[in-house]
Amino acid sequence: MSARRIVGGARPRRDAVDKVLGRTRFAADVRVPGLLHLAVARSDTAHARVRAVHTARALAVPGVVRVFTARHVPGVNRYGIIASTADQPMLAGDRVRFVGEAVALVAAETPEAAAEGARRVAVDYAPLPAITDPAEALEAGAAAIHDRGNLCFEQRIVRGDVDAGFARAAAVVERTYRTAVIEHAYLEPEAAVAWMEDGVLVVETSTQNPHYDRSDLGRLLGVAEERIRVVQRATGGGFGGKLDLSVQPYVALATWLTGRPSRLVYSREESFLATGKRHPFVMRYRSAADGSGRLLAVEADLLADTGAYASYALAVAMRAAVHAAGPYRVPAVRIRCRTVYTNRVFSGAMRGFGTPQAAFGHESQMDLLAGALGIDPLEIRRCNALGPGDVTVTGQTLGDSVGLVACLDRVGAVRDRWARRLREPDGVPRGLGVGAMYYGIGNTGVSNPSTARVALDPDGAFTLFTGAADIGQGSDNALLAICAETLGVDPDRIRLVRGDTARTANAGATSASRQTYISGGAVLRAAGRLRQRLVQEAAQALGVPAARLALEDGRIGPADGSGTSVSLAEVAARCGGGPVSETGGFDPDAAVLDRATGQGRPYGTYAFAAQVARVSVDPATAEVRVDGLAAAHDVGRAIHRPSVLGQISGGAAMGLGMALMETFGPGRDENLDTYLVPTTLDVPRVTPMIVEQAEPTGPFGAKGVGEPALIPTAPAILNALAAACGARIHNLPATLERVQKALRGEEA
Amino acid sequence: MPVDAAPVVELSFTLNGEPVTVSVEPHRSLLWVLRERFDLTGTKEGCGVGECGACTVLLDGRAVNACLVLAPKAAGREVLTVEGLGGPDALHPLQRAFVDGHAVQCGYCTPGMLLSAAALLQDNPRPTRDEIRAALAGNLCRCTGYTQIVDAVYAASRARGWAP
Repeated sequence: MSARRIVGGARPRRDAVDKVLGRTRFAADVRVPGLLHLAVARSDTAHARVRAVHTARALAVPGVVRVFTARHVPGVNRYGIIASTADQPMLAGDRVRFVGEAVALVAAETPEAAAEGARRVAVDYAPLPAITDPAEALEAGAAAIHDRGNLCFEQRIVRGDVDAGFARAAAVVERTYRTAVIEHAYLEPEAAVAWMEDGVLVVETSTQNPHYDRSDLGRLLGVAEERIRVVQRATGGGFGGKLDLSVQPYVALATWLTGRPSRLVYSREESFLATGKRHPFVMRYRSAADGSGRLLAVEADLLADTGAYASYALAVAMRAAVHAAGPYRVPAVRIRCRTVYTNRVFSGAMRGFGTPQAAFGHESQMDLLAGALGIDPLEIRRCNALGPGDVTVTGQTLGDSVGLVACLDRVGAVRDRWARRLREPDGVPRGLGVGAMYYGIGNTGVSNPSTARVALDPDGAFTLFTGAADIGQGSDNALLAICAETLGVDPDRIRLVRGDTARTANAGATSASRQTYISGGAVLRAAGRLRQRLVQEAAQALGVPAARLALEDGRIGPADGSGTSVSLAEVAARCGGGPVSETGGFDPDAAVLDRATGQGRPYGTYAFAAQVARVSVDPATAEVRVDGLAAAHDVGRAIHRPSVLGQISGGAAMGLGMALMETFGPGRDENLDTYLVPTTLDVPRVTPMIVEQAEPTGPFGAKGVGEPALIPTAPAILNALAAACGARIHNLPATLERVQKALRGEEA
Repeated sequence: MPVDAAPVVELSFTLNGEPVTVSVEPHRSLLWVLRERFDLTGTKEGCGVGECGACTVLLDGRAVNACLVLAPKAAGREVLTVEGLGGPDALHPLQRAFVDGHAVQCGYCTPGMLLSAAALLQDNPRPTRDEIRAALAGNLCRCTGYTQIVDAVYAASRARGWAP
């Protein structure tokens, strides 16, 4: 059973060799002769009526070929990844709603001419009041940013008798927390190239969801999806920021209307200015526990700034609300999360969809309750931790794959070891803190299926067709491993066709930590069906009952090794010589939440995690060092252990940035010189620990890890900081000024 | 004056071991020349202002941000890009270690990381992990959290039978 070593193994990733050789062509590296270079003219005002867009001076620039405005958009000039809230124009029509909104598109023979043309587009604005605060946006009489008002979406979760819980509490903690606007800062800026091929518009791009891209490009251009082919190029990170369309509509429009190839690559400045951000939250929490630390009730009111357009605001509101009380048994909750329009660059999906923000709230509350009751922070989490068969705040009864207590035990052991080294006679404040989380895998309360196809080719090798975008996290590798394990072949015998709308079926977005669980489930089923069909074919050829046959190492023969076997090429020939293929699909068992109470079954399964951070603070400068981070994650089953470790370490680094340094200021931060992300000198060696509580509905027991990796980190660091300073910081990031206050014993 | 009408200068240097000559406008960056004139797209642009390190190349053995080096500054010097570091049949020990050590996720920072690490190992063949972290501090990675990258550089520096 040699192939059984694939799942859970540690082979090098297939894409790694080309990447270390510099041979991988990202979208900006694709060379197309005769292409048009594009530049976008953008709004310099936050909120205004557009009286007129003057393009004559742009057209006069030598080399400028065309200038497009909203009136050139042939289809519906409105897109958005969640169809029910789609509200974003690709080129502003009669209104601009944030600084950086696209107003005109210039196509030219050189990048320099395109940029000069964009500078010369003149817009006649009639200013409107700009709103930058979500609470202000909800006030009566506030200027309406969209016709339907400024409340974009609201999700409530109501369960149990909250007032009774507070009435009999031994401890009640009430605090308000704030988080910052965060930029994804993937290393690869957005890029796309387009051309026409036999009447079909081909768009090659950096994306997390090629099939979504195609459907919205079709609506924008007013053409059938069949006339558009989107191919996902190697993608240099996404983290949610490449779920929305960015550059794709512009190359699509220019090429569709001129017939010429075109390319658009955002500068880092443009990527900061014009693409989605993590929602900043203001969160009021009130939590009650009895004398032994058991949670009695949680009340949470979360207000999130979604900026000028909806993007993923609906999903963020739903997911933040569902997870707002944390991974605990809470008998009574009253939770509300509202996402609100303002005149800032839009907020959308970013690794965790609001859950990292909420986790900062609920995990700070847990430490405060522990402090009020004199209970160890790990103990209060243990005694409330969700376990198999427990009921969540949406009324969902959990299955068996609930590894939270195991995660807490693992980080507890590390914490106790670290605690011995905490007090040194150097006057440096040091502290330890823990954070925990749960995270629903897949989209919230909706069907979100994936489909895959596996073919046996005439040469006896296989091809896996998947629409799942690998954005660097390694879904290709995980899906190949699942396929190889199922077919009993070496993964090197499987070709991969990925992320091409002309050749692969829709796998849904690479988001919500869903591809291993959901697309993995689809691959498992497709490969399983194909295996069954091939074994039956071999059974006829060999005159042996199928039940006695096994597919191993490219041959089908008796499982006990006796008698003759046939090669896969021979089986393929028996099947008619052409490729033999089977498809498979998987859709997690999720159901819509009740509109009023939020009760229901939002996800098929959940990941669980706990992390512990060790920090020290320079008493003179208030500079914070994270000296250690240990992270225990229940991933169900690790399909490829090094990739899981990489996700945990990378997520923790991103969480460290959220905790200590990242905050995007419009007009202040345009590049990585002022917007700081963690470097090798900021991130400690992360100690990852994999917990495997197999999920029966997952492929080989797998769930997901991409977003969970980040979620407990900022809470753990902030709890450690509170322990070190003796005062708590309630606003992210924990800047020098805030840490200085905390060192003086003031709340910050 | 429109930039495309700028005067050009002729520029000769050694690129990945081969002598090359190219005519460019003097305001062009070395990054632009590598990517647009030589189609060496392994060198990436991540920020354009010398902050992310994705465009790191070696100039006379020193790691530089190619986006900040004006092309004429390369005249008469040796430029090494990721394409010159190793080949498919002969991966550089750092490339081997990145593959085997799972130090590659999206791959966009990888070429720059490799060249910063190569410069380090030339000067300091057996660095500590702290020295590796210091040498890579100018190369941002948003995927890995650096753990596997630092380990890979460490592993390469300790690989048997290899001297930089």
